[in-house]
This record gives sequence, structure tokens and C-alpha cells, in this order.
Amino acid sequence: MDVSNLNVIVGEGTCGIAAGSKEVIEAFQKHAPEMNVRTVGCVGMCHQEVIAEVNDGNGNRHIYGNVTKKTVPQIINFHKGEGDLPEKQLIFSPDDQDLDKWRYLAHQTRIALRNVGYLDPTSISEYEARDGYKAIKKILAGMTPEQVIEEVKTSSIRGRGGAGFPTHIKWNFAKSSPGDFKYLICNGDEGDPGAFMDRSLLEGDPHNVIEGMLIAAYAFGASKGYAYIRAEYPLAVENFGKAIKDAHELGVLGDNIQGSNFSFDIKIKEGAGAFVCGEETALIASIEGDRGMPRFKPPFPAIKGLFGKPTIINNVETLANLPWIINNGGEAYASHGTEDSKGTKVFALAGAIKKGGLVEVPMGTKIRYVLEDIGGGSSSDLPLKAVQLGGPSGGCVPENLFDTTIEYAAINATGAIMGSGGMIVMDGTTCMVDLAKYFLGFTQNESCGKCTFCRIGTLRMRELLTKICDGKGEMEDLTVLEELTEQITKSSLCGLGQTAPNPVATTLKYFRDEYEAHIKDKRCPAAVCKSLITHTITAADCSGCSLCEMQCPVDAIEGQKKIKGSYVIDQAKCINCGMCFEVCNSKAIIVQ
Amino acid sequence: MSQSLEAKVEFEDVLSWIKRIGSDSSSTVPLLQAVQSKYGYLPRAAMDMIIQNTDITGSQVYGVATFYSQFRLKPVGRHMIRVCHGTACHVTGADRLDTSLRHILNITDEEQDTAENGSYTIEQVACIGCCSQAPVLVIADEVSGNLTGANAQRALKKHAKKNEEIVANI
Repeated sequence: MDVSNLNVIVGEGTCGIAAGSKEVIEAFQKHAPEMNVRTVGCVGMCHQEVIAEVNDGNGNRHIYGNVTKKTVPQIINFHKGEGDLPEKQLIFSPDDQDLDKWRYLAHQTRIALRNVGYLDPTSISEYEARDGYKAIKKILAGMTPEQVIEEVKTSSIRGRGGAGFPTHIKWNFAKSSPGDFKYLICNGDEGDPGAFMDRSLLEGDPHNVIEGMLIAAYAFGASKGYAYIRAEYPLAVENFGKAIKDAHELGVLGDNIQGSNFSFDIKIKEGAGAFVCGEETALIASIEGDRGMPRFKPPFPAIKGLFGKPTIINNVETLANLPWIINNGGEAYASHGTEDSKGTKVFALAGAIKKGGLVEVPMGTKIRYVLEDIGGGSSSDLPLKAVQLGGPSGGCVPENLFDTTIEYAAINATGAIMGSGGMIVMDGTTCMVDLAKYFLGFTQNESCGKCTFCRIGTLRMRELLTKICDGKGEMEDLTVLEELTEQITKSSLCGLGQTAPNPVATTLKYFRDEYEAHIKDKRCPAAVCKSLITHTITAADCSGCSLCEMQCPVDAIEGQKKIKGSYVIDQAKCINCGMCFEVCNSKAIIVQ
Repeated sequence: MSQSLEAKVEFEDVLSWIKRIGSDSSSTVPLLQAVQSKYGYLPRAAMDMIIQNTDITGSQVYGVATFYSQFRLKPVGRHMIRVCHGTACHVTGADRLDTSLRHILNITDEEQDTAENGSYTIEQVACIGCCSQAPVLVIADEVSGNLTGANAQRALKKHAKKNEEIVANI
């Protein structure tokens, strides 16, 4: 059968590329050059990457997951009518629209993410074809800034960057601020390790973020915008830069947009790697060319911000919801969610989860639903132990609280925070003390140094946690950790310091037994902390393959090649790096 | 270090960046980014040129250069390897990627991050946002995910072969 009328769409976000999308595209071009291959952003089914869709342009879609260059010929042959359906790869087909794999998306409510994975982020016409720039045109054709703010007020959307401040109130501050020159900053400094929804939006649907910025700018009267994007996201910078250029050409960005007297322009500022720049005043200092250190509030940025002008900083995800809210009405948005928290929220699922990726669900959904019904539960044989919400500022929610609903207040009650939406799932192989040490190491490293308690307090906490992980901890250390938690929280200027102890506070609250095992029994229950574990080889299982000897970076393993059971680890040299465990095919290495 | 990796800074380059980006204080970060993207680090000579030819002060240049984790003051190898140390990568074994790569590049001194032959520099970076493919690393600009220590070495060997670099044979 002729396949020249078929389109191939390959997901090419950073995660698709990491999984090998370039090779897959090359394979399609090599084996079926007559097919029309194009790329789209990441649809958020990261566990299925590389994802390729084959469609006939008339709505008949076949979607395949885990595609490699080796499976491409099989897919092509099926569409040529020369082979069987590659069932193992199939996620969606016109004949079977309820495959288990597809439910990952079917169980979601996508508003912010409505376009990612469906359009080519470098094509403004594809964005237009999905109602793109309709909202701003509607506004310019006859909505006052007050009406826009009213609509957003009805939607009850709160800032999605973490703090959850109502968006319309923030805008009103800047709107009523005197001055005819105001700035809007799009905060794309997604610094929380474990969160990647903003990357996905900036890479996969940049026009949606630009349109969101236009709406915000119109509402409170900004004439210049900055998109502050992390330097670690090169593809986002590239796609967003192209989108700005194309939006200019289309006449939706620049002077007198659509013939109105509304003018707005956007400039990209690349971050340079500082977590604290997620904080509004630090971000402003960074754009001004200084060290990204937070400033005292008041004055609030809405009154005196960037270069001394009234400035509003909105998160990428918040902005990505705005065009939908204007097109569909604030009420439609508010119909999702709960009394406390309206609308939807995007989460980035990763860690020990079967189906990792991006998940957008209505507020009020239970954590368990996200992890089990959408995420498919644990990726190992071990049960889930906890989920870390909100990155270094957040906390760990233990399994017995998975029925907590996703709402600002309910999540805060557990000690964690909604945060920007990173969800790192953990099973029994993660040591909670090591995790707390990891986060404190992160915040201590990222502390700008301005406030003493944050600068030195986090260092002391990190030292105590290292001491416990090294098996030298004492029970009194836990008391000191708790004291420091309180002091750092109370004595820090910005959110970084105020929330830095959260990972310690929540792990101490829910996993105190693990701390005690490290201190009292000198044992790491998850077999992670290097000072408390040993690697040994079970002679009966050793095949004599010598892989472990080759991989050992400190030459601690000796034996005779091809002689079963001959390999032995010299404990005096072993650094417990785990390389031997990882390469051993016969599972002969025991870690305990 | 058997050979010097110090970059030779061209005055014309620095001037052209100043002309393109600007010479006011808010240009500090983008100017340093331009310098680093050319040389892989911030050579002292380039920073001096910026101070002499713009309104930016020495304390501001040095303050910014030492504040942001992106900037390096030490020379780098011919290619960069960035190992992600985000949360998901941390819990799935980012440590082992470091260990295995340092092993294959024969970097034994903990203070060092560049191979003796000047081929590669290993850098630990905060989250690159590919958490579902953890653990992840980036060699030059190629992202690879779902790695073990052994296949991190494989990815490096592949890159080394293509770029005619020598790494230890494991």
C-alpha cells in the first residue's frame, strides 16, 4: 500500500531526545522517505518515549510508544499492509481507543497542557489552528482590562509557581500602581529539581505562554515583558525565541497589536543557574545584572520592581492557563477543583513510578489517584513508600497519607507544599535520611548567603545529616535538627530559607524510625548510605564473568576470569559505589 | 594537567559581544554567558576587557561570575559532560554515573573534574528537567537517559569515537 499520504509525528521534547527520538526520525526517513515526518513537543507520556504517531490526515491515528530505530520498519510495514500490527508498541488506534496505556492521558484533564504533543512548537499556524491567539483577539476586539481581570477573578486561579497567590489580586496591585511603564516577567526559572512542566510548556507550546503574557500585560497595563528561562533548558530558549519572532510577524506582538493601542514586546533573559532566582525579588536582581539575592519587601515588585518600575511576575503554568480561561470563561475553569483550590494543576511524575511523565488533574484529586490510577503504581516489586512534593521547599508525604486531596490547604497540612508540582515517587530503595541530606545539600549550596540562619543553619543541618548518614549520629542530633528547623524558618527573608528545613521536618515526622535505625543500630534500612552498607559476592551465584572487576573504580575486586565463585571484594578498598551491583548479571552481589 | 587548556581571548570577540549585548549593568549576565559559550569558562583576560570597556565594575563582574552556578573560572576540556543531579536522578543513581565516568576518564583526584588529556570535563548540574528518564546526562549537547553506570560509559565511548578523543578502555 502507498504510504505517501501518511504523516508521522514524533515527540521531540528534551525527554524524547534523551530517549532517542533523533534515531527514530532518521529511521522513518530512511525506510519510508515518502512519508511526511514532522515533530511535536512532549505529550508528557515520558515513560513511553519515543512516541510516534502515524495518521492519514483524516483523524485516523495510530500512536506507538517505546519506538526505537529497530521497531520503525515493523511500523512502516504494517501501514504498508505488509506486516502485523506492532501490538507491543501500540498506545492508541482507531479500533482500540481504550488501551491501558492510553488511559494515562484519558484520565487527565488538560487545560494548561492542552496543546503540548499535538502541535509543532515551531509553527505559529498550528497554534492558530488550535484556537491560538483567539483570546487576545477577543480581548482587543472589545474587553476592557477590568473585564479581563474580572474573568480571571471568576476563574479563581492562583499562582502555579508554588506560593499560590491569587493571580487577579496580584494584577490589581500593579494596575493601581502609579506610573505609565510597567513590566511583566514570565518566571520560567523552574529550579525545583524534579519539576519539568514549565520546560514542557516553553518547549512544546511557546505561543500559548506568549498569549498568556499578552493577556496579563493587557490586564494590568505592562508594555514590556521578560521571559526568564533557565539556561539548562536550551530547547525551550530556542523554541520560545522563534515563537517571539513569528508572533511579531503575525502582528500579535509589538506595537499597536491588531490595530489597537495596546503595545507589548517580550525579551528572553537566560538564567545562569541559581535556584534562589525563582524568588521574585532575586529574579529581578538577576535581570538587572546583579547577584540574584532577594530584597526586602515592601516595597513589593508590583509597586517598585524591575528597574524601579511596577512589575508582575507570573509563572509559566499560570500564564498557560489564561488563553483557555478567556476563551472558555472563568466559570468553566472554576468548575474544576474544590472550594479552596480551583482549576487544574500539572504535576511532573518521576522516580519509582511505572508511568512517569506530566499529569494534569483537577484540584481535589487524591494523591493516590495520580500515583496509582494514572502513574500505574510502583515501578519495582516494592510497594511505594512516599512521595516528595514541592522539591527542596516541600516535604515527603508518606503512603498512609496518599488519600490526601490535592488542594493548597490539605497539602500544607501534611507539612509538604503544592509547590511547582514535582512529584518524586519513592519505594523502599530510597533512604529518607539520605534524601533529606540531598535536599539540605541543595539548599545550602543555593542559599544566597544573605541571611545568617539560612546561610549557616542549612550548613549545620547538612553536617548533622551527613553525620547521621555516616553512622556517627546521636539521638540529641535530632533535637538540634528540630530546633534549627524552627529557627531557620523564622529568621530567613525569602521562601528559600523559610522552607529549606521542610524536607527534614517531614522526614523526621513520618520516618523517624529510619533516623533512629541510622543512629541506634548503625544501619541504613534502604541500603543506601555508603558508610553503613557493605557489598559482598555470594560465591555460589558468581559466574566468574569478571564484569565487576572491570567496573570497580578502586580495584577492590579480584578473582579468576571464567572461574565460578572466584571473585571477592576487598572490604578495605571498597567504596560502596554500587557499580559491581549494577553490572552483575547473575545477581551475586549482596548489598546490606 | 599535561597541556594547558587556557583559552586565548580575542579582543575583537569581546568587543563584538559588548556591541551586540550592551554595556550597561544589566548586560553583565548575558555578556559573561557569551564569553563562557565561546571559551567554556570565564578567562580572566575576557573579564578584564569587559570591565575596561563597559560601565560594569570589577566587583560586579566577579560577584556575578561567582554567584551563578553556570559560570566557571577554571578552564575546561574540549567537551563537557553534564551529569544531572536532580532529585529523580539522585534517587535513581546519578552518583554511579559520576563514578563510572570518572573511572573511564581516569580522573582520580577528587578536586579535579577534567581528564588529564584535556578531552572531557565532568560537571554536576542541577535538574535538567528530564526526570522521567532519570538518571540523565548530557555529553556536549546530546541528552541520554535511563542510564546505568555501564551505559553512561558506552555513551561516552560513542561520543569519543566520533570526536577522535581517547578514553580508557573498560
